Amino acid sequence: MVQHNLGTVIGFEFVRTVTKRRFWIGTLSVPIIMAVVFGLIFLSNTTTDTASQAQSSAEFTLSYTDASGLITPQDAALFGARPAESAGAGIQDVQSGTVEAYFDFPARPDTEVVRVYGADKGIFENGKYAAVAQAMLTRAVEQKIGSAELSTLATGKAQIETVTYDGTQESGGLGSVIPPLVFLVIFYGLIVLLAGQMLNSTLEEKENRVTEMILTTLKPTTLIAGKVIALFAIGLVQMIVFLSPIVIARLLLPDQLSPAVLDVPPLIFDPVRITIGFLILIGGFALFTTTLVAIGAVMPTAKEAGNVLGVMMALIFVPFYAVALVVSDPHSGIVQIFTYFPFSAPVTALLRNGFGSLNSLEAGIVIVILFVGATVMLRIAVRLFQYGSISYTSKVNIRTALRAGSRHAASDAAPTTPAP
Amino acid sequence: MDEAVVHISGFRMDFGAVTVIRDLSFDVRAGETFGFLGSNGSGKTTTIRALLGLYEPTAGTLHINGRPFKPEHGGRLGYLPEERGLYKKEKVMDVMTYFGRLKGMEKRSARRWSLEYLERVALADKAGSLLDKLSSGQQQKVQLGVTIMNRPELLILDEPTKGFDPVNRRLLIEIIGEQKQAGATVVMVTHQMDEVERLCDRVILLKDGTAEAYGTIDEVQNKYGGRIIRVKYTGTIPRSPHYDVVLEETNYAELSITDTTDEAAILKNLIDAGVRVRSFTTTKVSLEDIFIRVYGDQNIPTSSLPAAPPATNALVGEEV
Repeated sequence: MVQHNLGTVIGFEFVRTVTKRRFWIGTLSVPIIMAVVFGLIFLSNTTTDTASQAQSSAEFTLSYTDASGLITPQDAALFGARPAESAGAGIQDVQSGTVEAYFDFPARPDTEVVRVYGADKGIFENGKYAAVAQAMLTRAVEQKIGSAELSTLATGKAQIETVTYDGTQESGGLGSVIPPLVFLVIFYGLIVLLAGQMLNSTLEEKENRVTEMILTTLKPTTLIAGKVIALFAIGLVQMIVFLSPIVIARLLLPDQLSPAVLDVPPLIFDPVRITIGFLILIGGFALFTTTLVAIGAVMPTAKEAGNVLGVMMALIFVPFYAVALVVSDPHSGIVQIFTYFPFSAPVTALLRNGFGSLNSLEAGIVIVILFVGATVMLRIAVRLFQYGSISYTSKVNIRTALRAGSRHAASDAAPTTPAP
Repeated sequence: MDEAVVHISGFRMDFGAVTVIRDLSFDVRAGETFGFLGSNGSGKTTTIRALLGLYEPTAGTLHINGRPFKPEHGGRLGYLPEERGLYKKEKVMDVMTYFGRLKGMEKRSARRWSLEYLERVALADKAGSLLDKLSSGQQQKVQLGVTIMNRPELLILDEPTKGFDPVNRRLLIEIIGEQKQAGATVVMVTHQMDEVERLCDRVILLKDGTAEAYGTIDEVQNKYGGRIIRVKYTGTIPRSPHYDVVLEETNYAELSITDTTDEAAILKNLIDAGVRVRSFTTTKVSLEDIFIRVYGDQNIPTSSLPAAPPATNALVGEEV
C-alpha cells in the first residue's frame, strides 16, 4: 500500500506540474532565451568579423607619413596610399577633402600611438581607417620577417596541446574535468529552478487546507518522499529540455559543432569521478529538497517562506566566492569547512571532484554526510509537516512539533500507555 | 453493534498552559451514528484531530479499531475536516481520482465513481473545471465526495452541513444516511440539533473539557428533564419537588419534570396553589433546549440547572 501510494503521489505531483502551461512557458523560455542570446552573439561576431575584414580591405584615398621606416612605398601602394609631406599637410588634406584619410606612423609603433585621421563616415564606418592602418603595419612587419608562418607564430597563435600524466596514466587535463563538472551544473540548475517549488510543495497543502485530508489518507513520509522524487523528475525534464537544443544542433550540424571546431578537448569519462559526482548530486539534491520542504512546513505563507529561501540559496553560492581557493588549495581550512558543512558540501565537493582534488575517502565522507543529512532532514520535515502544518495560519513552534513527534514515536511502541 | 470502533479514555489535551480537554472518555460502537456536540471552542475538533493522530494527546488512549490510528493501517476512513480545502488549482476529476487512488481504488473505478457522484450532486459538468472556479458550496460537495470514496467503514464529519444551503443540506443528510445504511459508523460534529435528533443514535456533550452528558438521545433528554411543561398563566408558580422551573417570564413558564409525577397532578397542584392556568402543554425537551441550557447558562438561574457532573465523566446510562 505504501509503495502504491508513493507511486500515486509521484504521479500526481509530476503530472500536475508538467501539464501546466506555465511550467512549459517557464521551461521553454530558458533554451529559447539562450538560443536568442547565443544567436545574437554569433550574429554579432560574424558581422564584426566580416565588417572587420571588409574594413581592412576597404578602398579609399589616403596619405601617410612613416617615421619608423617599416612601410615601404611598394607596401603603401598596395593600399593606394601616397606619402604626405608632413603630418600637418596630411591632416589639412583630410580636412580639405583631398584624401579621405591620413595615417601618422611613429618611429616606435610598438610603444607609440599610430594616429589615424579621416573624414567622418559615421561611427561604424569610421572603423575602416584603423583597420587599414593595422593591415598596412602587419603587412610591413610580415615583409620584414620574410615569412607568413613566422609572422603567425610571432602573434602567439600557435596551437598547443598539453598531455599530463598521473604516474604512467594519462591524466586527461581539461577533458577529464568537464564531465564531472556537469553534475555541478545540473545541481545548480535543479536547485535554482526548483527551490521555489520545493518550498511551496508542502505550503500548498497548508494554504489550501488539504493537510488534514491528506494526513489521514497516507503516511506523511510517503507524501514528502513522493514530492521529493517528483521534484527530481521534474528537474530532470527541465534539464533535458535545456540540453535538447545543444543535442539537436550537434545532430543537425555535426561538422560546425565538432569538439575540434569548438576548441573542446577530447572528453575523458573517469567512472570513479562520474559515480562520485552522481552520488553527491543525488545526496545534495535530497538534502536541499528535504530542508526546503521542512521550511515550507513551518511557514504559514509562501511570502514568509520566501524570506528564508534567500539564505538557503546563499549557502550554495558561498563556495563560488572561494572557487580559486577550492581549485588551488583544496586542503586549506576554509575549503575543508566548505567541503564538510552539509549545505556547502555539494558545490564544494563537486568542484573538487571535477578538478580531481577530492580523494575517495573525502568523497565517501561527503556522500555519507549528505545522505545522512537528507535522511535526518526528511524525518524532521515529516514531523514538522505532520505536527506543524495543521497550524494553518501561524508559524509553527519547531521545538513543540518535534517534541510531539518524539512522543508519538514513544506512544507507538506502547499504544495503551498514556504519553508523558 | 456493541463493538467499539472508536475508544477514547482518560484523554487530556494541553496546549501550553491551556487545558482544552481535561478528562474525556467515550466509545463509538460499530454501525451507529454518533453525535459529538459542544459549544464553539469546547474541544470537539481537538478531540477528533487527536483521535486521527494529527495532535499528540497530553495523556490518554485514543483508538480506532483497537489501536492508535495510522493511515497505513488500511482501515477505510472518511474524514471531512472542519477546515475544508482541496488542491484548488487542480481539476475536480483529477483531485477526486487522486484521493480515490490513495484510498486504494483503481484509477478507472475512481474516475467512474467520481463521475457518478458528480452527476448525483449536479456537478458532472464541472468535472474538468479547476476547483477554485467552483463556488464554496460546490467545493464542499466535491470534498464530501472525496470523503466517502471507497465505502468508508468509519465516517468522521466535522460540521458537515457548514456552508450548505437547505437543499444541499438535505442532499448531504441523505448521503450520510446512505453511508449509515451501507454499514458505516458515523461520527458527526455539529451544532445542528435537529440533524442530531434525526440521525444520531447516541451523543456526547462536551463542556469544560469533559463529558457533560453521554448516551442515547432519550437518555440525554431524560437527564435534562425529559418532559417539559409549557404554561401560560397569571399568578405565581409555586416551587415543587416534582419539577424545576427552567424558564420564567411574564405569564409564561417552562417546568422540567424531575420525577415520575404525571402532568395532570402537576396541573392540579398549580390550580390548587391559586394559579390561573390559561394554557398547559407537555412536550419532550429538545436537544436544542438542552444545548442552550448547557452552554447558555449565563441567562439561566444556576439553581434551575441540572446538577453539574462529577469531575470525571458524567454518564447517562453508560459506563466507560
